[in-house]
Amino acid sequence: MSSISRPHIYLLIVTLFLLIFVFVFSFELLIPKGKEYRILSVDMKKEIRKFRQYKDYSDTKLGIVQELQQKNRVIIEAFNYNFNPEKFQKQYKEYFSKLQISPKTELKNEKEFKVYEVNATSQINSPKSFYNFLDAVNKGDWIISVNFPIKFKRKEDGISSSFTMKVYKIDKKLALHGIKNNLLNN
Amino acid sequence: MSSSFIQPRKKTVLTQEFKLLISFFSMSIFMLVSTYIFLVYKNHSFVQTKAEMVQKRLNLDIEISNSKKKIKYLKDEVSLSNEIYKHNALLKESITNLFDLIPSRITLSEALLLENGLKLYGITPNKDIYDFMLQAPLRSIFSKTYTSFYPADNGWVRFVSTNYIDPSDEEIKKVVVDE
Repeated sequence: MSSISRPHIYLLIVTLFLLIFVFVFSFELLIPKGKEYRILSVDMKKEIRKFRQYKDYSDTKLGIVQELQQKNRVIIEAFNYNFNPEKFQKQYKEYFSKLQISPKTELKNEKEFKVYEVNATSQINSPKSFYNFLDAVNKGDWIISVNFPIKFKRKEDGISSSFTMKVYKIDKKLALHGIKNNLLNN
Repeated sequence: MSSSFIQPRKKTVLTQEFKLLISFFSMSIFMLVSTYIFLVYKNHSFVQTKAEMVQKRLNLDIEISNSKKKIKYLKDEVSLSNEIYKHNALLKESITNLFDLIPSRITLSEALLLENGLKLYGITPNKDIYDFMLQAPLRSIFSKTYTSFYPADNGWVRFVSTNYIDPSDEEIKKVVVDE
Protein backbone atom coordinates (compact mmCIF):
# COMPACT_ATOMS: atom_id res chain seq x y z
CA MET A 1 0.00 0.00 0.00
CA SER A 2 1.25 3.47 -0.81
CA SER A 3 1.88 5.85 2.08
CA ILE A 4 0.55 8.94 0.11
CA SER A 5 -3.14 9.30 0.30
CA ARG A 6 -5.31 10.03 -2.71
CA PRO A 7 -6.17 13.65 -1.74
CA HIS A 8 -2.46 14.37 -1.41
CA ILE A 9 -1.85 13.02 -4.89
CA TYR A 10 -4.57 15.33 -6.25
CA LEU A 11 -3.05 18.19 -4.35
CA LEU A 12 0.36 17.48 -5.82
CA ILE A 13 -0.98 17.21 -9.37
CA VAL A 14 -2.94 20.48 -9.10
CA THR A 15 0.07 22.25 -7.55
CA LEU A 16 2.31 21.05 -10.36
CA PHE A 17 -0.23 22.03 -12.99
CA LEU A 18 -0.68 25.52 -11.52
CA LEU A 19 3.05 26.01 -11.13
CA ILE A 20 3.60 25.06 -14.78
CA PHE A 21 0.80 27.46 -15.80
CA VAL A 22 2.34 30.31 -13.81
CA PHE A 23 5.79 29.68 -15.31
CA VAL A 24 4.56 29.35 -18.87
CA PHE A 25 2.34 32.43 -18.51
CA SER A 26 5.19 34.44 -17.04
CA PHE A 27 7.88 33.44 -19.52
CA GLU A 28 5.76 33.29 -22.65
CA LEU A 29 3.50 36.28 -22.18
CA LEU A 30 4.28 38.48 -19.23
CA ILE A 31 8.05 38.90 -19.59
CA PRO A 32 7.96 39.61 -23.40
CA LYS A 33 5.19 42.16 -22.81
CA GLY A 34 7.29 43.71 -20.05
CA LYS A 35 10.27 43.98 -22.40
CA GLU A 36 8.05 45.52 -25.08
CA TYR A 37 6.76 47.97 -22.47
CA ARG A 38 10.29 48.99 -21.53
CA ILE A 39 11.30 49.56 -25.19
CA LEU A 40 8.10 51.47 -25.98
CA SER A 41 8.49 53.59 -22.87
CA VAL A 42 12.06 54.58 -23.88
CA ASP A 43 10.80 55.28 -27.43
CA MET A 44 8.00 57.39 -26.03
CA LYS A 45 10.39 59.46 -23.93
CA LYS A 46 12.55 60.05 -27.01
CA GLU A 47 9.50 61.05 -29.04
CA ILE A 48 8.33 63.44 -26.31
CA ARG A 49 11.79 65.04 -26.17
CA LYS A 50 11.85 65.38 -29.96
CA PHE A 51 8.33 66.84 -30.00
CA ARG A 52 9.27 69.39 -27.30
CA GLN A 53 12.29 70.45 -29.33
CA TYR A 54 10.09 70.93 -32.41
CA LYS A 55 7.49 72.79 -30.35
CA ASP A 56 10.11 75.12 -28.86
CA TYR A 57 11.61 75.77 -32.29
CA SER A 58 8.18 76.38 -33.81
CA ASP A 59 7.26 78.75 -30.95
CA THR A 60 10.51 80.66 -31.46
CA LYS A 61 9.82 81.04 -35.17
CA LEU A 62 6.22 82.09 -34.52
CA GLY A 63 7.51 84.62 -32.01
CA ILE A 64 9.85 86.06 -34.65
CA VAL A 65 6.97 86.27 -37.15
CA GLN A 66 4.76 88.07 -34.62
CA GLU A 67 7.56 90.42 -33.60
CA LEU A 68 8.31 91.27 -37.24
CA GLN A 69 4.60 91.78 -37.95
CA GLN A 70 4.16 94.07 -34.94
CA LYS A 71 7.35 96.02 -35.59
CA ASN A 72 6.65 96.55 -39.30
CA ARG A 73 2.86 96.79 -39.27
CA VAL A 74 2.83 100.02 -41.31
CA ILE A 75 5.13 98.61 -43.99
CA ILE A 76 3.14 95.36 -44.26
CA GLU A 77 -0.13 97.28 -44.60
CA ALA A 78 1.44 99.55 -47.21
CA PHE A 79 2.51 96.53 -49.28
CA ASN A 80 -1.06 95.19 -49.15
CA TYR A 81 -2.72 98.44 -50.14
CA ASN A 82 -4.11 98.85 -53.66
CA PHE A 83 -2.87 101.97 -55.41
CA ASN A 84 -5.64 104.46 -55.96
CA PRO A 85 -4.74 107.55 -58.09
CA GLU A 86 -7.65 109.62 -56.67
CA LYS A 87 -6.64 108.88 -53.11
CA PHE A 88 -3.01 109.59 -53.96
CA GLN A 89 -3.95 112.99 -55.42
CA LYS A 90 -6.07 113.78 -52.36
CA GLN A 91 -3.31 112.76 -49.99
CA TYR A 92 -0.50 114.72 -51.65
CA LYS A 93 -2.31 117.70 -53.17
CA GLU A 94 -0.98 120.02 -50.44
CA TYR A 95 2.54 119.73 -51.92
CA PHE A 96 1.50 120.69 -55.47
CA SER A 97 -0.57 123.44 -56.97
CA LYS A 98 -1.60 120.96 -59.68
CA LEU A 99 -1.17 117.19 -59.75
CA GLN A 100 -2.14 114.72 -62.45
CA ILE A 101 -1.56 110.98 -62.25
CA SER A 102 -1.58 108.66 -65.25
CA PRO A 103 -3.27 105.25 -65.01
CA LYS A 104 -0.96 102.62 -63.58
CA THR A 105 0.83 100.22 -65.89
CA GLU A 106 1.98 96.87 -64.59
CA LEU A 107 5.69 96.14 -64.88
CA LYS A 108 7.56 92.85 -64.46
CA ASN A 109 7.35 91.39 -60.96
CA GLU A 110 10.33 91.89 -58.69
CA LYS A 111 10.61 88.70 -56.60
CA GLU A 112 7.20 88.31 -54.89
CA PHE A 113 6.25 91.96 -55.48
CA LYS A 114 3.97 93.39 -58.12
CA VAL A 115 5.33 96.63 -59.57
CA TYR A 116 3.22 99.35 -61.16
CA GLU A 117 4.51 102.44 -62.91
CA VAL A 118 2.70 105.73 -62.63
CA ASN A 119 3.61 108.99 -64.33
CA ALA A 120 2.90 112.24 -62.58
CA THR A 121 2.78 115.74 -63.99
CA SER A 122 2.54 118.52 -61.50
CA GLN A 123 3.10 122.12 -60.74
CA ILE A 124 4.98 123.33 -57.68
CA ASN A 125 5.65 126.77 -56.24
CA SER A 126 9.22 126.03 -55.21
CA PRO A 127 11.61 123.04 -55.14
CA LYS A 128 10.99 122.87 -51.37
CA SER A 129 7.46 121.56 -52.05
CA PHE A 130 9.00 118.70 -53.98
CA TYR A 131 11.42 117.95 -51.11
CA ASN A 132 8.48 117.88 -48.73
CA PHE A 133 6.62 115.56 -51.09
CA LEU A 134 9.60 113.17 -51.13
CA ASP A 135 9.61 113.17 -47.32
CA ALA A 136 5.85 112.60 -47.19
CA VAL A 137 5.89 109.78 -49.75
CA ASN A 138 8.05 107.75 -47.35
CA LYS A 139 5.34 108.02 -44.71
CA GLY A 140 2.37 107.42 -47.04
CA ASP A 141 -0.11 104.57 -47.50
CA TRP A 142 1.84 102.92 -50.32
CA ILE A 143 5.41 101.85 -50.93
CA ILE A 144 6.44 104.27 -53.66
CA SER A 145 9.80 104.92 -55.20
CA VAL A 146 10.15 108.18 -57.13
CA ASN A 147 12.29 107.59 -60.19
CA PHE A 148 14.18 109.29 -62.99
CA PRO A 149 13.67 110.99 -65.34
CA ILE A 150 12.54 113.99 -63.30
CA LYS A 151 11.91 117.17 -65.20
CA PHE A 152 11.54 120.69 -63.79
CA LYS A 153 10.53 123.51 -66.09
CA ARG A 154 10.15 127.14 -65.13
CA LYS A 155 6.71 128.56 -65.97
CA GLU A 156 5.19 131.97 -65.38
CA ASP A 157 3.09 130.71 -62.49
CA GLY A 158 5.60 128.35 -60.92
CA ILE A 159 7.58 125.25 -61.79
CA SER A 160 6.09 122.39 -63.73
CA SER A 161 7.49 119.01 -62.86
CA SER A 162 7.09 115.53 -64.20
CA PHE A 163 8.37 112.31 -62.73
CA THR A 164 7.71 108.59 -62.67
CA MET A 165 6.87 106.52 -59.63
CA LYS A 166 7.06 102.81 -58.99
CA VAL A 167 4.39 101.44 -56.68
CA TYR A 168 5.16 98.10 -54.97
CA LYS A 169 2.54 95.64 -53.81
CA ILE A 170 2.95 92.13 -52.41
CA ASP A 171 1.79 89.45 -54.85
CA LYS A 172 -0.21 87.20 -52.52
CA LYS A 173 -0.53 84.47 -55.16
CA LEU A 174 3.22 84.30 -55.56
CA ALA A 175 3.76 84.37 -51.81
CA LEU A 176 1.22 81.56 -51.33
CA HIS A 177 2.79 79.62 -54.19
CA GLY A 178 6.12 79.93 -52.44
CA ILE A 179 4.67 78.53 -49.23
CA LYS A 180 3.00 75.63 -51.10
CA ASN A 181 6.24 74.80 -52.88
CA ASN A 182 7.99 74.83 -49.58
CA LEU A 183 5.48 72.40 -48.16
CA LEU A 184 5.80 70.04 -51.12
CA ASN A 185 9.57 70.07 -50.79
CA ASN A 186 9.22 69.04 -47.17
CA MET B 1 -24.95 -1.79 15.13
CA SER B 2 -22.51 0.96 14.69
CA SER B 3 -18.79 0.65 15.25
CA SER B 4 -18.22 4.31 16.11
CA PHE B 5 -19.83 6.81 18.31
CA ILE B 6 -19.36 9.72 15.93
CA GLN B 7 -21.01 10.32 12.62
CA PRO B 8 -18.58 9.45 9.75
CA ARG B 9 -17.00 12.47 8.00
CA LYS B 10 -18.02 12.95 4.42
CA LYS B 11 -14.88 12.57 2.27
CA THR B 12 -14.31 15.33 -0.28
CA VAL B 13 -11.52 16.42 -2.67
CA LEU B 14 -11.73 20.02 -1.37
CA THR B 15 -9.70 19.54 1.69
CA GLN B 16 -8.38 22.44 3.76
CA GLU B 17 -4.95 22.21 2.10
CA PHE B 18 -6.53 22.13 -1.34
CA LYS B 19 -8.57 25.26 -0.62
CA LEU B 20 -5.47 27.02 0.67
CA LEU B 21 -3.54 26.05 -2.43
CA ILE B 22 -6.32 27.19 -4.75
CA SER B 23 -6.65 30.53 -2.98
CA PHE B 24 -2.89 31.07 -3.11
CA PHE B 25 -2.69 30.28 -6.80
CA SER B 26 -5.84 32.25 -7.60
CA MET B 27 -4.30 35.34 -6.05
CA SER B 28 -1.01 34.80 -7.87
CA ILE B 29 -2.70 34.18 -11.21
CA PHE B 30 -4.98 37.17 -10.69
CA MET B 31 -1.96 39.41 -10.07
CA LEU B 32 -0.10 38.01 -13.07
CA VAL B 33 -3.07 38.40 -15.39
CA SER B 34 -3.84 41.91 -14.18
CA THR B 35 -0.19 42.90 -14.70
CA TYR B 36 -0.38 41.42 -18.19
CA ILE B 37 -3.60 43.34 -18.96
CA PHE B 38 -2.01 46.53 -17.64
CA LEU B 39 1.03 46.00 -19.88
CA VAL B 40 -1.11 45.25 -22.94
CA TYR B 41 -3.17 48.40 -22.30
CA LYS B 42 -0.07 50.53 -21.69
CA ASN B 43 1.72 49.26 -24.78
CA HIS B 44 -1.33 49.90 -26.91
CA SER B 45 -1.65 53.40 -25.47
CA PHE B 46 2.09 54.04 -26.10
CA VAL B 47 1.75 53.01 -29.73
CA GLN B 48 -1.31 55.25 -30.16
CA THR B 49 0.25 58.23 -28.39
CA LYS B 50 3.46 57.83 -30.38
CA ALA B 51 1.52 57.85 -33.66
CA GLU B 52 -0.29 61.02 -32.51
CA MET B 53 3.01 62.61 -31.51
CA VAL B 54 4.56 61.81 -34.90
CA GLN B 55 1.55 63.39 -36.63
CA LYS B 56 1.77 66.46 -34.39
CA ARG B 57 5.52 66.69 -35.09
CA LEU B 58 4.83 66.57 -38.83
CA ASN B 59 2.25 69.36 -38.44
CA LEU B 60 4.80 71.35 -36.46
CA ASP B 61 7.30 70.75 -39.23
CA ILE B 62 4.84 72.28 -41.71
CA GLU B 63 4.22 75.19 -39.32
CA ILE B 64 7.96 75.76 -38.99
CA SER B 65 8.47 75.87 -42.77
CA ASN B 66 5.50 78.25 -43.04
CA SER B 67 6.96 80.49 -40.37
CA LYS B 68 10.37 80.42 -42.07
CA LYS B 69 8.75 81.41 -45.35
CA LYS B 70 6.79 84.18 -43.63
CA ILE B 71 9.94 85.47 -41.95
CA LYS B 72 11.64 85.57 -45.34
CA TYR B 73 8.75 87.50 -46.92
CA LEU B 74 8.55 89.92 -44.02
CA LYS B 75 12.30 90.50 -44.11
CA ASP B 76 12.11 90.98 -47.90
CA GLU B 77 9.29 93.51 -47.42
CA VAL B 78 11.20 95.41 -44.75
CA SER B 79 14.44 95.39 -46.71
CA LEU B 80 12.73 96.53 -49.95
CA SER B 81 10.83 99.30 -48.18
CA ASN B 82 14.02 100.48 -46.46
CA GLU B 83 15.80 100.48 -49.83
CA ILE B 84 12.97 102.55 -51.34
CA TYR B 85 12.91 104.99 -48.41
CA LYS B 86 16.67 105.36 -48.72
CA HIS B 87 16.38 105.85 -52.48
CA ASN B 88 13.77 108.61 -52.03
CA ALA B 89 15.90 110.31 -49.36
CA LEU B 90 18.97 110.17 -51.63
CA LEU B 91 16.91 111.56 -54.50
CA LYS B 92 15.84 114.46 -52.32
CA GLU B 93 19.46 115.08 -51.37
CA SER B 94 20.55 114.98 -55.05
CA ILE B 95 17.89 117.49 -56.08
CA THR B 96 18.77 119.75 -53.13
CA ASN B 97 22.44 119.59 -54.08
CA LEU B 98 21.61 120.35 -57.71
CA PHE B 99 19.64 123.48 -56.85
CA ASP B 100 22.32 124.55 -54.34
CA LEU B 101 24.86 124.21 -57.12
CA ILE B 102 23.21 126.85 -59.27
CA PRO B 103 24.70 130.28 -58.52
CA SER B 104 22.31 133.17 -58.01
CA ARG B 105 23.55 134.96 -61.13
CA ILE B 106 22.55 132.07 -63.37
CA THR B 107 18.88 131.34 -63.94
CA LEU B 108 17.66 127.88 -64.86
CA SER B 109 14.70 127.49 -67.19
CA GLU B 110 14.64 123.71 -67.24
CA ALA B 111 16.38 120.82 -65.53
CA LEU B 112 16.16 117.20 -66.55
CA LEU B 113 17.52 114.67 -64.05
CA LEU B 114 18.36 111.32 -65.59
CA GLU B 115 19.55 108.02 -64.15
CA ASN B 116 23.17 108.81 -64.97
CA GLY B 117 23.05 112.34 -66.23
CA LEU B 118 21.75 115.86 -65.96
CA LYS B 119 20.56 118.28 -68.60
CA LEU B 120 20.29 121.97 -67.73
CA TYR B 121 18.77 124.79 -69.73
CA GLY B 122 19.30 128.32 -68.54
CA ILE B 123 20.52 131.82 -69.01
CA THR B 124 23.76 133.41 -67.80
CA PRO B 125 24.99 137.03 -67.95
CA ASN B 126 28.06 135.81 -69.84
CA LYS B 127 30.06 132.69 -70.70
CA ASP B 128 32.78 133.36 -68.09
CA ILE B 129 30.35 133.41 -65.20
CA TYR B 130 28.96 130.11 -66.42
CA ASP B 131 32.44 128.60 -66.81
CA PHE B 132 33.63 129.62 -63.35
CA MET B 133 30.48 129.26 -61.34
CA LEU B 134 28.65 126.31 -62.87
CA GLN B 135 30.88 124.49 -65.32
CA ALA B 136 33.63 123.86 -62.76
CA PRO B 137 31.45 122.15 -60.15
CA LEU B 138 29.61 120.20 -62.87
CA ARG B 139 32.95 118.92 -64.19
CA SER B 140 33.92 117.72 -60.73
CA ILE B 141 30.73 115.64 -60.51
CA PHE B 142 30.22 114.36 -64.06
CA SER B 143 32.73 112.58 -66.25
CA LYS B 144 31.40 114.07 -69.49
CA THR B 145 30.12 117.62 -69.78
CA TYR B 146 29.02 119.31 -73.01
CA THR B 147 27.73 122.86 -73.17
CA SER B 148 26.37 124.85 -76.05
CA PHE B 149 25.67 128.58 -75.92
CA TYR B 150 23.49 130.86 -77.96
CA PRO B 151 22.68 134.54 -77.49
CA ALA B 152 19.52 135.66 -75.76
CA ASP B 153 17.42 138.70 -76.70
CA ASN B 154 18.52 140.76 -73.69
CA GLY B 155 22.25 140.35 -74.44
CA TRP B 156 22.72 137.49 -71.99
CA VAL B 157 23.71 134.02 -73.09
CA ARG B 158 21.44 130.98 -73.13
CA PHE B 159 23.07 127.65 -72.45
CA VAL B 160 22.27 123.96 -72.69
CA SER B 161 24.48 121.83 -70.47
CA THR B 162 24.49 118.05 -70.92
CA ASN B 163 26.34 116.05 -68.28
CA TYR B 164 26.87 112.32 -67.97
CA ILE B 165 28.44 109.98 -65.49
CA ASP B 166 30.44 107.24 -67.18
CA PRO B 167 29.58 104.00 -65.33
CA SER B 168 33.17 102.76 -65.78
CA ASP B 169 34.47 105.93 -64.05
CA GLU B 170 32.12 105.23 -61.16
CA GLU B 171 33.55 101.71 -60.90
CA ILE B 172 37.09 103.14 -60.78
CA LYS B 173 36.07 105.67 -58.11
CA LYS B 174 34.50 102.85 -56.08
CA VAL B 175 37.65 100.72 -56.28
CA VAL B 176 39.83 103.68 -55.23
CA VAL B 177 37.54 104.45 -52.28
CA ASP B 178 37.47 100.77 -51.25
CA GLU B 179 41.27 100.56 -51.36
